[in-house]
Amino acid sequence: MEFKIVIAGKGGEGIIFMTRILAEGAFSIGIPVISSEIHGMAQRGGSVISQVKLGEFYSPFIPYGSADFLIATSKEEGERNKIYLKPDGISVVNSPDPSPFHVDASGLAQKINHPKGANLILLGFAINKMGFEEKPFLEAIEKCSPSFLGEKNKKAFLFGFSISREKVAKPLE
Amino acid sequence: MIRRVFLGNEAIAWGLLKEGVSFVTSYPGTPASEILEAVIKFNEQYELGIFAQWAINEKVAFELALAHSWLGGRSAVSMKQVGLNVALDPLMSAAYTGVKGGFLLISADDPGPYSSQTEQDSRFLAMFAKIPVFDPSSPKEAMDMIKEALELSERYRIPVMLRPTSWVCHARQGILLEEELKPNLKKLSFEKDLCHWAALPRRRYVLHKELNEKLRSIQKENGFKRISFNGAKKAVVSSGFPFALLMDVLKSLGLKGSLDIYKVDRPFPLSPSLNDELSSYEEILVLEETYPVIELQISHREKTRGRLDGTVPSQGELKPESILRALHLLLGNFPFEKINDLKEGSPPRLCSGCPHRAAFWAIKKAFPQGFFPSDIGCYSLGLEMEAVDAFLCMGAGVSLAEGFYLALKNAGQKIPPICATVGDSTFFHACIPALIDAVNKKAAFVLVILDNATTAMTGGQPTPSNPPKNLRKVELEEVIKGCGVEFIKVVDPFDFPEMERSLKEAYAFSQEKEAPAVVISRRPCPLFEKETHKRTFILKLLRKENCKSCMICVSESRCPALEKGQQGPIIHQDLCRGCGLCAFICPNQALTFTEV
Repeated sequence: MEFKIVIAGKGGEGIIFMTRILAEGAFSIGIPVISSEIHGMAQRGGSVISQVKLGEFYSPFIPYGSADFLIATSKEEGERNKIYLKPDGISVVNSPDPSPFHVDASGLAQKINHPKGANLILLGFAINKMGFEEKPFLEAIEKCSPSFLGEKNKKAFLFGFSISREKVAKPLE
Repeated sequence: MIRRVFLGNEAIAWGLLKEGVSFVTSYPGTPASEILEAVIKFNEQYELGIFAQWAINEKVAFELALAHSWLGGRSAVSMKQVGLNVALDPLMSAAYTGVKGGFLLISADDPGPYSSQTEQDSRFLAMFAKIPVFDPSSPKEAMDMIKEALELSERYRIPVMLRPTSWVCHARQGILLEEELKPNLKKLSFEKDLCHWAALPRRRYVLHKELNEKLRSIQKENGFKRISFNGAKKAVVSSGFPFALLMDVLKSLGLKGSLDIYKVDRPFPLSPSLNDELSSYEEILVLEETYPVIELQISHREKTRGRLDGTVPSQGELKPESILRALHLLLGNFPFEKINDLKEGSPPRLCSGCPHRAAFWAIKKAFPQGFFPSDIGCYSLGLEMEAVDAFLCMGAGVSLAEGFYLALKNAGQKIPPICATVGDSTFFHACIPALIDAVNKKAAFVLVILDNATTAMTGGQPTPSNPPKNLRKVELEEVIKGCGVEFIKVVDPFDFPEMERSLKEAYAFSQEKEAPAVVISRRPCPLFEKETHKRTFILKLLRKENCKSCMICVSESRCPALEKGQQGPIIHQDLCRGCGLCAFICPNQALTFTEV
């Protein structure tokens, strides 16, 4: 099985954390993983992306037009980065607008009283769409979260994972 | 087997510790910062008892590690590529003197560049210093190369460089490990070696000859691999991250059979037997980052393609698209369509609640006609607030201010108020000699030291004035006083009127006494100071009727928590850290903070 995933957002929104959970979870069930993430100056609130490749790959870079998934923390970043997505690729975008490929992760995160958990709601949603079980990723969240956030983070992830069952994500127009 | 997902820099740290390196130093810089961070983490976790500490700058870091090597211990020093410029002096000399315990210099390059002043290729500096360099293509490979690099270093008593690039350092990869780390401290031996450690110029000639002989022997060790060999007419020679890109591109195109592929692990010194093997091909493409280091060592000039003939771009990082283009130019047997590159995204900005923002705002207010040299750090982003006019390299903030002043003065021209900004970590790193020079030469300018008690840009490493608990603190004020500065004032930048007043006072002093005057703008970075992070208030557009939608709060603060709206600013409560600058700026008292 092979997946190429682009995660797009702004520095400080937890893009690196999502990348880490995806990588740790997938590798724990035996899938080879290589990913890239942006640190340093570019990370200070500017646009950032992470690229994650699951399967037998040498490099973490994803050519334009070939990503299976695009996860974006805003409509604006989703729009800008859809160049990475292959024609039948699936995008999961954080936005309150009603649309099959939008998830109101920020709104839902407020609702579960964990405003910083929007990234994990999106990730849970996307991981369900990839057809994975939730367990290895919950373990990764447990391992990588600071102790006071572990339970809240898992709750956010599971929330995204469960609403994903009821929703069909579609490619961006 | 143990399964771990490692960031490239963690894999490098693990490789060092696995091979018994017992002394690691560094100065933080993207993309190298997490190497020493991970060494410190593993050292504590596995109770290895090794020396793992940040140094004041790269030159000092290099020299500390070299001393350990001369005592027979395995040593490593890590830095970013421009950090190696700072450490170039000891490197050049250490290549001659040689080492005793294995000595690994890790210099991480930043093609792009993402977080640097240059895209320079450290492998050229290895070539310049005449030391071998290894060029890993992935975290796993970087970890594995360390064993070979240290053994080579010990066999030939020569410093060896490992040169990862951003996407090796900041790739995350699942890796299988054979065993956990174990303490492995060896006894050091102190034996004087005057012939090497204290060589005068006459003896240096002999050392140079020794170095050349070492390189000739090292060249005979292959340092490259044949990856695929089909007897094709064309070959690709690749190293580092571009090799990883190449393999994925070839797989997706199904082109693996139409080329022979060579992977170079050690770009310098390049093995002559690679040149022998390449002689039978009609064409050779070289894919490497960032400068043509391998390409220049290939003797078949007329049939070699790469950066020198434009097949590969001469600047910028390589991406799958650039590899595709180069292969298309070489083979021409598949269609290639140029895809327009990604549109530019939002630029980085100072974070909300950043004390630098308040300091820059006050600088603009105090010196509307001022000239603003700055330095390397988060505060380079003061550019956005028009409070930074120039920066060059670590430490140059002070010398540029001095230079501009002295140049205009010597020309007999009018001198605008000059106000330089440097961070606390940068001040210790390279500004001290410049400040002493400015005092000597009677350069009249204001120097603002933005003291946020950490090295913020690279992830919050300690500074000499805010060291880890077991180390001794060096007071910033004492150092500045020791440099001969007579005006030193410490201000909290969130006391907005006081900040502006102090800057004006400093300027008046500098003009009257013909001397630099220093204002220390002191407040911890909110990213690393959790106490100030707790919020007990929220920002509100309290008196809506007062708001004239002038948007001065947005344009002057450039705060990520504020955005222009249809009627008044939009406040992003989740981002606001409550510094209060926007409320202070508002000319109509429309914004205010209320307790929650």
